[in-house]
Amino acid sequence: MSIINYASREIQFKIVYYGPALCGKTTNLSYIHQRINPQNRGDLVSLATAADRTLFFDFLPLNAVVIKGFVTKFQLYTVPGQVIYNATRQLVLRSADGIVFVADSQWEKMEENVESFKNLEENLAKQNIAFDEVPCVLQYNKRDLPNIAPVNYMEYVMNNRKKRLQSFEVVSSSGQNVFAALNAVSQVLLHKFSKQNEVPDTVAAPIAIPVEPSAPQKGVQV
Amino acid sequence: MNGIPVLTIQDVAMLDGALGDFLKKAEADLTVVIDRGGNVISQFGDRDVTDVTIIAALAAGSFAATRELARRIGEVEFNALFHQGNGSHMFMNSVDEDTIMITVFGTRTTVGLVRFYSAAAAQSVAGIMQKLQRGGHGLEFTAADIEAAPIFVDPQAPAPAPAPAPAG
Repeated sequence: MSIINYASREIQFKIVYYGPALCGKTTNLSYIHQRINPQNRGDLVSLATAADRTLFFDFLPLNAVVIKGFVTKFQLYTVPGQVIYNATRQLVLRSADGIVFVADSQWEKMEENVESFKNLEENLAKQNIAFDEVPCVLQYNKRDLPNIAPVNYMEYVMNNRKKRLQSFEVVSSSGQNVFAALNAVSQVLLHKFSKQNEVPDTVAAPIAIPVEPSAPQKGVQV
Repeated sequence: MNGIPVLTIQDVAMLDGALGDFLKKAEADLTVVIDRGGNVISQFGDRDVTDVTIIAALAAGSFAATRELARRIGEVEFNALFHQGNGSHMFMNSVDEDTIMITVFGTRTTVGLVRFYSAAAAQSVAGIMQKLQRGGHGLEFTAADIEAAPIFVDPQAPAPAPAPAPAG
């Protein structure tokens, strides 16, 4: 539940980073925490196991002035990606205003990506929320690795729906497009609450949405 | 309605009144009203804590996590949780289905006193929150009110590649 406090002139929004295990959700938050001006952020809180796997959630509060006259507080959470922690994912997803789905671009992770996305839709449905109602963007992470699926294949697998989501080619370890995805989901959720209820053209266009999947080119010689 | 629920200045004053009265009677240091998603709704008190938003996020998680524990013994949830420290303690109690109250206190008082007065305070807060939800007076802003520039900036991001020169 977002809430506006007129006395302190604050608005709060909750953004959840969702995705399969080891896809880079925590790395996203770590990068944002490292790079953002310390005056505009709180501490990064990680509830992790001894092996640095997320046990409950990671949490990073950010402040910004994005609506005239109000301080906007964005609270970034990650969910634990491991399959066994579904109850925890449901708890963290509660009252989420926006979602960044982090998909792992490696070929062998494709099935886990699809399973995790299905799990997200199921967990939203349990809270009587239709997936289309929640502002969401897609990250295709780990684009620096050698064994990755082409972007148009990722689009075909993860974004093959009537109303396509904005998607971003991301390398969360180096920060490529981490902020672009965060800005995009923030704009989409702010415009969801605005009177016009539509995202203007000024919002960054998706980086990787092909017209149609293209066949991989194999050693064409002339 | 697209608008976001709003706590008006009057709502905040009523909440502050209820929370201030509770703190005075219970002799506690700080009380924070949060929703179960971890958002801070209101806070009152002068206890120096590092970041109330982090306390809210962790408290909401703690409250939710023990719900499953409660179910194992046939309860829907635990209505109250108490974390005991050496000099500082935390008491959390359920206000309604969406709201939790957190109270931080020290050695000046006892958990019994905090628990006793928190029940009445929770009732007052629940009444204000119900009125807020029934009223449904949401703030509606237009797209023109939203900052068009990127909200968050990476100060060390590599500069974007230059656009290709026009052909011809």
